[in-house]
Amino acid sequence: MPSTPTVTVLYFAAASTATGLNSEEIELPTPRPFKLSSLSNLLISRYPGKGLEKVLESSQWSVDAEMVDNPDETVLTGGEEVAVICPVSGG
Amino acid sequence: MSQWPPASVEAREELIEGIAVLTYNALNTESITREVADARAGATAIFIGTTRNSFKGKVVTRLDYQAYSKLAIKTITSIILEAHQKFSRSLHQTPDTLVPPIIRSAVYHRLGTVPVGEPSIVIAVSSPHRKESFQACEYILERIKEDAQIWKREFYEGEKEEDAEWKANTAP
Repeated sequence: MPSTPTVTVLYFAAASTATGLNSEEIELPTPRPFKLSSLSNLLISRYPGKGLEKVLESSQWSVDAEMVDNPDETVLTGGEEVAVICPVSGG
Repeated sequence: MSQWPPASVEAREELIEGIAVLTYNALNTESITREVADARAGATAIFIGTTRNSFKGKVVTRLDYQAYSKLAIKTITSIILEAHQKFSRSLHQTPDTLVPPIIRSAVYHRLGTVPVGEPSIVIAVSSPHRKESFQACEYILERIKEDAQIWKREFYEGEKEEDAEWKANTAP
């Protein structure tokens, strides 16, 4: 049986505080390819009551180190590196 | 969780127009300024961003910076190129001159713990005439604050570590 495709999700700043993680491997549920915009609910369900929902509301996504303009039109097939990009505070 | 995220690593990208660096080491303004030195330059603008000791009456004890380095270094590089494009005409120059209005830009951003009072970012820009280096230096700083995938956490005196606040440069 072929193994379930996974993506690596990177957490920084408030997202890492909420999840307690810097990164994790997530199995992509069916139907696949999986919409990036559906990843929010999947992650929120994994960390209930941690404030992740609020963090994700104000965040953007990157896939394979490219910022995503439209998560509804972006799909994940497995093997991607996805990052939660919280509001930035460099400088 | 390890102290610094594994994706928050040192990074360095050199281009003809300049250099972008993310480093866990203290920033040396003099050596960064030398990176943009050029005999054709009549001006070098330098911005040094340092960590402040207070926030809304609270005493800041330290600041931690982390980056998604792979992406942040690309963002900073494209901001440097953007600045060199944007300030492409100097009032002092005739259009056929061979010296570009902005010669070189260097951006160094520190990662990890930055003690209060030390530089977290140094930007140096050289140009034949002063106006363009001032403008480009400010432009690069503002664009980095908007877009570069770097995050700052402030720790306050008398408060628990887990209450330390992740900052945001723009209101969500």
